[in-house]
Amino acid sequence: MRPWGSWLAALLLLLGAGVYSETAWKGVRQAVPEIGRKDLEPTLGQGVLLGILGGMRTVVADATWIRSYVLWERRDRAGCEAMMRTACALDPRTRFFWENTGYTIGYDFAHWEIRRRGGYLKVSPEIQNSIFQRYAKMGLEVFEQGVEHTGGNAGILISAGQLAEIKLKDNLLAAQYYLRATQVKNVPWFAYWMCARARWEAGEQVGAYRWYRAQWVGVLSREADGSPDDLERLRFMETELKVPTMQRIPKQSWES
Amino acid sequence: MNASLARTGWIARVTFLEAIRQRFFAFLIVLSAAMVVSSVSLRFMDFGHSELKFVVDFAFGGMFLFGSVLALVMTAQLFFAEIDNRTALTLLAKPLSRTEFLLGKFLGAWAVLGIFVGVLVCLLGVILWGRAQELAVLAAESGRVAPEFSLTGLTSFALLQWFRLGVVAAMVLMVSAIARTFLFTVIVGSMMIVAGQLQWLAQEALLKPTNQGLLTKSLLWVASRVIPNLQMFNIGDTLVLDPSAISGEAVLSATGAGALYLFAFLFLASLGFQRREI
Repeated sequence: MRPWGSWLAALLLLLGAGVYSETAWKGVRQAVPEIGRKDLEPTLGQGVLLGILGGMRTVVADATWIRSYVLWERRDRAGCEAMMRTACALDPRTRFFWENTGYTIGYDFAHWEIRRRGGYLKVSPEIQNSIFQRYAKMGLEVFEQGVEHTGGNAGILISAGQLAEIKLKDNLLAAQYYLRATQVKNVPWFAYWMCARARWEAGEQVGAYRWYRAQWVGVLSREADGSPDDLERLRFMETELKVPTMQRIPKQSWES
Repeated sequence: MNASLARTGWIARVTFLEAIRQRFFAFLIVLSAAMVVSSVSLRFMDFGHSELKFVVDFAFGGMFLFGSVLALVMTAQLFFAEIDNRTALTLLAKPLSRTEFLLGKFLGAWAVLGIFVGVLVCLLGVILWGRAQELAVLAAESGRVAPEFSLTGLTSFALLQWFRLGVVAAMVLMVSAIARTFLFTVIVGSMMIVAGQLQWLAQEALLKPTNQGLLTKSLLWVASRVIPNLQMFNIGDTLVLDPSAISGEAVLSATGAGALYLFAFLFLASLGFQRREI
């Protein structure tokens, strides 16, 4: 073989390996957690590179999270957010990072912003409210990303519902989050009640009762203890809605 | 053919013995082992992961980092020691082809890397098994599900890491075959490792439908084929802790891709070395 022929064969072999590697990569891609490049850009060069390169992503994410605590103590909003988002991007399958980033952005940042503008006495209640709403929406975005990356974590959905309820005062939106939480696996028992309560407080009393009742009959009553707390709340709803006795949930043998 | 294999094997054996006696190898393997062992005591620093995941990630991180350093520096050092000490001249004056010399060097270095991966994976296996037993008792007491790990997954990961380090060693040999100095080889080699770890970004960019120009697309296409995707081998925690999330064929095809890159880089190294003045 001529010398250039050997070089050509070697290059073709390299290209062939590349083409085959692309197919192999598609197979293993699902096992490699997604890295949010945009979220990492502000903190690149601060030890994060090692995590991106492939090793110790969990450890680097933990170290980044500890660093974000230091910045939280200093009330450094931009730095804290960047570090927390970096931790989320480095280890996107962990509920802890998403949940606490959402909490910090949704609850704490608004207070820091108000204090930065002169304090609660100086900033008018309308502006305070708009600041709370703005950061709550940012927090909800983080929770949504967390839900996407963790494959629908009930804990994050409940946290999102609470943020919508407490800061946005939007009970219907909160109810939607709680409803989504009840539809994923490993849902905590209280998510059903939270959903029904949020709908109830949003003015959908009848809808809330019907849904909660269906859940109790279909899911909750099959628990080992028969979910007595939920039944007690349903009884309260039946009384409030003046449901006729015959249409109420039949009295259980263990009910007092 | 048999004589050629015997000569290659002889070079590989000598290289292996030379490398295994190096203080650098001993230092790195002790450092990595210390890292694997310390992962259990450092778990209090962890947030929200399962304990085994932290241990596995910490240990794999150590293997990735120190394994890369070992593959890079040891391979270059073994090659340049022969050139600088003029022993290569003596060896190549005998009926030994340059390809056999290079292949022997690679096989010797790869065997040492195999020892490195094997020792660390065995150590990690023992640590994981011990910790999993303790956690199983705690889980039984609290009525939780006990964490498990896959020994088969750990073995598959060891194989993948060995291939990854083999690809790195082959790349370094390719650079060594044409480079003049050890330092140049180490610098270019380390840049190639970083590029390999980040190659998937080019591949992802190419796969996503965007309005990139023809030149950008062409560059991405070439880059994503010429540079090996080393990220492909970093699936240890999935293999060990959640083996059902990845198919056996995917692992096999990743190993196959590693083997193909290995051949390609060694072929290029051999061609480069043919015309090199020693």
